[in-house]
Amino acid sequence: MNQSSESTTKSVFEGEDTIIKVRDLHTYFYTDLGISRALNGVNLEIPRGKVMGVVGESGCGKSVTALSIMRMVAKPGKIVQGDITFFRKDKKKNDAIEEINLTKLEGMGPEMRSIRGAQMSMIFQEPMTSLNPSYTIGDQIMEAIILHQNVDKVEAERRAVEILDGVGMANPSLIVKRYPHELSGGMRQRAMISLALSCTPAVLFADEPTTALDVTTEAQILDLMRDLQKRIDMSIVFITHNLGVVAQMCDYVTVMYLGRVVEQATIDDTFYNPMHPYTSSLLRSIPHVGSHQKDRLKPIRGVVPDPYSKVKGCPFHPRCDKAMRGLCDVKVPGLTVVGKSHTVRCFLHSDVEEESTYVQ
Amino acid sequence: MINYIFRRIGYMMVTLAIIAVLGYLIVELPPGSYLEFEIARLRQQGGNVSQDQIKALEIRYGLNDPTYVRFFKWITGFVRGDFGESFQYRQEVKDLIGQRLAFTISISVFSLLLAWGIAVPVGVYSATHRNTIPDYIITVIQFLGLSIPSFLVALVLMVVAQRVFGQQVGGLFSDEFQNAPWSFARFIDLLKHLWIPIVVIAFGSTAGLSRIMRANLLDVLGMQYVQTARSKGLKENKVIWKHAVKNAMHPLIMILGGSLPGIISGETVVAIVMNIPTVGPMYFNAQLNQDLYLAATFLMFLSILGVLGNLLADIALAWVDPRIRFE
Repeated sequence: MNQSSESTTKSVFEGEDTIIKVRDLHTYFYTDLGISRALNGVNLEIPRGKVMGVVGESGCGKSVTALSIMRMVAKPGKIVQGDITFFRKDKKKNDAIEEINLTKLEGMGPEMRSIRGAQMSMIFQEPMTSLNPSYTIGDQIMEAIILHQNVDKVEAERRAVEILDGVGMANPSLIVKRYPHELSGGMRQRAMISLALSCTPAVLFADEPTTALDVTTEAQILDLMRDLQKRIDMSIVFITHNLGVVAQMCDYVTVMYLGRVVEQATIDDTFYNPMHPYTSSLLRSIPHVGSHQKDRLKPIRGVVPDPYSKVKGCPFHPRCDKAMRGLCDVKVPGLTVVGKSHTVRCFLHSDVEEESTYVQ
Repeated sequence: MINYIFRRIGYMMVTLAIIAVLGYLIVELPPGSYLEFEIARLRQQGGNVSQDQIKALEIRYGLNDPTYVRFFKWITGFVRGDFGESFQYRQEVKDLIGQRLAFTISISVFSLLLAWGIAVPVGVYSATHRNTIPDYIITVIQFLGLSIPSFLVALVLMVVAQRVFGQQVGGLFSDEFQNAPWSFARFIDLLKHLWIPIVVIAFGSTAGLSRIMRANLLDVLGMQYVQTARSKGLKENKVIWKHAVKNAMHPLIMILGGSLPGIISGETVVAIVMNIPTVGPMYFNAQLNQDLYLAATFLMFLSILGVLGNLLADIALAWVDPRIRFE
């Protein structure tokens, strides 16, 4: 990738302001089985104040991308290469934008910790296990508030109740005294959302927040997140493999395959003008309302190569119907802008080549 | 919760009553009685024990009464704090035990504190530094601790203490202080003797406890809520100690409850090897010599500590983990 990392916040998404820019990110896990190359040069931009969906099969690096940006990749995992730039807007200084290179900070160091939880936070997939069973809901929310906002316990509890009320929790002043096991799955996810939003972050990573919930609760939680996103004016990175949820929630979509971003586009382009063969195959593999009963869903043939091995050429070529012999299996396509707010990594649409991106 | 505790105390009483009956029977079960030993001993010394003397002794110890009558005499006395008289020592059991109990409890409590004080941090360290060289070294030491019997450790330490530090070992006091009144010098002398049994007793249990701590913490560290704690921006130390360790303590608390009887009986082997006047060896001898009331009293104390330990452990668990708080 020869694109210079310009320090403006101008986005590939037209008319948007970038809040996080990830360049050539490689995160590897050094396990007993060998090196698992979870991320192999991820390039993506997160627009400020918008919802961006990140989709892809299991193991394509969606969660690891979020954890890498949060700098929470733990041993044996390690960010081996790349830059993550966070454009922090300071409301006190007339919305001045400060540029912070997160990869230069120490993951557990004081600077990163002051960003984590305050500027960016995360909701996890399993509401049943993402809250500590030994502390009350109130204690867990207040812990974050006291840590980042310099208030006393009484004020922190008042804010915790206020936030719980804001996420539509009934009887918030009672709920703060409850333990996680005393709440239902949906209530726990609301509590988790309150915890994540307690310091009004600029970016929220939601890692499949509704996968473990039933559809009714899922719809409520999605409504709530959309509503909160507008109220707080934050960016949400919505990690999911449910394209229906993406259509309902997101402004932009990032499609990932085997530790790389293969396409970034607006929601409309993703569904009506997908350019990467992988994106099109994903869309063909889900049912549509109004499709003929006799039409069969088309699964993507083959399986994702395991992340321990290296694939020569475009990582998708072994499963791609449009793969071109002598090109796709030899060279790696680079991520290129192909249209308005639309980037793709495929030789069908550009001849930009990228050098092999594996880090030794 | 209060109701629960009262209910548990009720169950405890029932359990203890059953143990009292069974325990008394088992201690009495082997054929013969202490009196027969005593008569045999007197005859061996050349004394002629007349039938009258035997009768007098039998009446004195109530040996002609049926077992259940003797049991009721003993248990009613026990409840009132009269534990009967030891055949062997010809002393009140109460006085016999009282002398040694202070040493026993201090040795046990100190070794318990030492074991826990080392085991928890070591377990946490090796879990958070899994598969690093320090973790491997700790693991090797742990397996040594688990596999070397405590009497051997005691012997080795005694040799080391004597050869290297020139210390007098065995017993609790040096000769010159044995019968001296309490003074600061005597206290220092006691400490000099006390550290070996404390280290020996702590050694084995530290190894076991820290293994358990490591295994549990590894489980908990993989939990989602640990990631949640990190995602708040907490310091790693706080993530580990406040959010992970608290949830990894359950098995240790259960073990602590179970180790309460060990306060009396745990150091027996070490105490015998090192000739320390604690209650362990005395209990052991009481069993050997069929010293009925002494043995039965020990047994009751062990059982009381056992059920009490379990109750305390359950209360502590409920305090640590809200999920097992009872109505």
